[in-house]
Amino acid sequence: MKFLEVNDVDSYYGPKKVLEQVIFSVDKGEFFGVIGPNGSGKTTLLRCISGVLKPRSGGVRVNGLNVYTLGEREIAKNIAVVPQASAINFSFTALEIVMMGRNPHISRFRMENERDYKIAENAMELTNTKHLALRQMDTLSGGEQQRIIIARALAQEPKLLLLDEPTVHLDISHQLEIMELIRRLNRDNDIVVVAVFHDLNLAAHYCNRLMLLDSGKVFSIGTPHDVLTPENIRKTYHIDVLVKEHPLSSSLYVIPFYPAAQKLTSCQKSVHIICGGGSGIQLMRVLHDEGYSLTAGVLNVLDSDYEVAVSLGISTVEEAPFSRITDESYERNLKLILSSDVVVVANAFFGEGNLLNLKAAKTALDHHMPIILVESTPFSGRNFADREGEELYNSIRAKAKLVKKPENVLEAIG
Amino acid sequence: MVVGTAPIPMNDILNIFLSRIPGLEALISSTYLPSWEIIIIEVRLPRVLLGAFVGASLAVAGTSMQGLFRNPMADPFVIGISSGAALGAVMTLPMESVLLDTGVHYVAPFFAFVGALGAVLLVYSISRVGGKLPVETLLLAGVAVASFLSAVTSIVKYAYSRDIWSVLFGLTGSLGAAEWIDINVVFPACVLGTVILVFFARDLNGIMLGEETAKHLGIEAEKVKKIILVVSSFITAAAVVTSGTIGFVGLVTPHVMRLIVGPDHRILIPSSAIVGGIFLIWCDTIARTLIAVPVSMITALFGAPFFIYLLWRRKRST
Repeated sequence: MKFLEVNDVDSYYGPKKVLEQVIFSVDKGEFFGVIGPNGSGKTTLLRCISGVLKPRSGGVRVNGLNVYTLGEREIAKNIAVVPQASAINFSFTALEIVMMGRNPHISRFRMENERDYKIAENAMELTNTKHLALRQMDTLSGGEQQRIIIARALAQEPKLLLLDEPTVHLDISHQLEIMELIRRLNRDNDIVVVAVFHDLNLAAHYCNRLMLLDSGKVFSIGTPHDVLTPENIRKTYHIDVLVKEHPLSSSLYVIPFYPAAQKLTSCQKSVHIICGGGSGIQLMRVLHDEGYSLTAGVLNVLDSDYEVAVSLGISTVEEAPFSRITDESYERNLKLILSSDVVVVANAFFGEGNLLNLKAAKTALDHHMPIILVESTPFSGRNFADREGEELYNSIRAKAKLVKKPENVLEAIG
Repeated sequence: MVVGTAPIPMNDILNIFLSRIPGLEALISSTYLPSWEIIIIEVRLPRVLLGAFVGASLAVAGTSMQGLFRNPMADPFVIGISSGAALGAVMTLPMESVLLDTGVHYVAPFFAFVGALGAVLLVYSISRVGGKLPVETLLLAGVAVASFLSAVTSIVKYAYSRDIWSVLFGLTGSLGAAEWIDINVVFPACVLGTVILVFFARDLNGIMLGEETAKHLGIEAEKVKKIILVVSSFITAAAVVTSGTIGFVGLVTPHVMRLIVGPDHRILIPSSAIVGGIFLIWCDTIARTLIAVPVSMITALFGAPFFIYLLWRRKRST
């Protein structure tokens, strides 16, 4: 039996469908992240799991218990919720707030006892807030308040902790402090965590598994590596990103491209780009933003141009990392070139390994295709293929349109 | 007890009380006038007790309302419960003579209770905007409903008595007509209501954090809300039926007490009850000795500026 089972949940706000056929499950010990663009139903999903919102159809089971047949008190013994950090303006002391977490365990006709205080104290110790016990909530900083709210959740002795963007409004050091705290609770105190994130990098670093929601449906579910692909993010958030591995932690991190103003209309012309070693990044971006349909190649996997091309969804002829272009790749590249309208050769370095790319450009020229040559720096400084490279380049240069900068390519294409 | 149009010395008052305790009569030398005994036992004592219980009831109702609506401006008077109770009570006027004959004293309180409950539900449903209860709409709806209900009350009263002065004067809250029978109504209601609310004080603390948070903490928010509304209306009705509409006690007292004892309703409700009672006795003492006006005018004299101060502070903080 899974610890948390969300089974085919459909939820509506009025006539508007907010969640549709959401099915997933979470195992004991997991740190599970829910991501997705605004309005994708993340918070609604948390509300359905915590039982405050009953979905129109479908069920939620926590630890084998049906959430919708349990009373508030029984739910609160199993599930604690940390809502979005928001300004708190009441004068309860921190300890009073934490003690409210004991509410589900205390019957109406009894006072808090020794054990309740012990548990609250322990929760404050774990969250490093014991020194704040007698301070009023409205005098605490955002990070301190959030730690108190987490302490309150712990005082409930929950088996499942639901967090709705626990670090929003906090600065980066407090974000990490809160996330480390939650991870510790997840590992040491055996609490299953389900958290909604806006920050994809935090989600990627802390979660065992992620679920990507889009318009109320599960778009993708799996490890951060499975879910956080440029393609998934493009299809849901509608932005282009670069997904990299963090050099130290080996978790993923996501860097958005910052589009000047993405054009919605796409141009009819297709452009093939010959680049490498980062020479094509700006070129691809400019042309991509303008809406041209792009191809590129041949590029080595791990080359920075290759990563950008993948992130932008540009179809590419690829070659193994740091390897010479094979004849087979050359042929495939030539096919792409001949099926496009324009070829752009970036201000790249050329050596024996990628000389076949220049040869492909020359072939295109022989087929009377228009060629644009970006020449920001003289070729002599970029040529590592001796005479052969120089001859090839000059023969292309004689008939190609020359531009100085990548952004000038737009005018050259016309 | 000492002060009034007929000043009575403190030791005589003590003697009057002591003489009432069985077995002590013989030991008390009756140095006081017989008329003093009547003044103390039949006039001043019920008046003071009524002030204490009405003040306590209104303060407790105000405290619960402010917690429930998460709104420092809530008060049985401001949000129209008192007016609803008054209308309910006035509705029983045509039956009054019959009722007095048969000795049934709890019909008017019951109608007042129904009126109070109706008013609070009306205000609540008018001012609720998309699941939230903004301060502004709550106040506006409260004032509008209260004025309307007061107008209806006046018309009913006038139609029955044909005496415009009694109508105008009868609507202002006063403890002047205090009788032991009033104590029999307000005392049980006040004590019972306060005890029930104290048992729900922890839930009220949770609701202060927001209804959804309260649910997360295992509080049956919907059920608790209804219980608190009904009980608050109940004790307000008992207060109104015995003394008319007295405003601002329920507004001022919880505020002052919150500053002194903090926001925890388990302490706040009983302490507001005590201080609300004392406050109304003081106001009534001023009312009957210094200028001889209904006590509701004195509470308004203190309360209305306080209310304006709260609004002003709120404006500054936002």
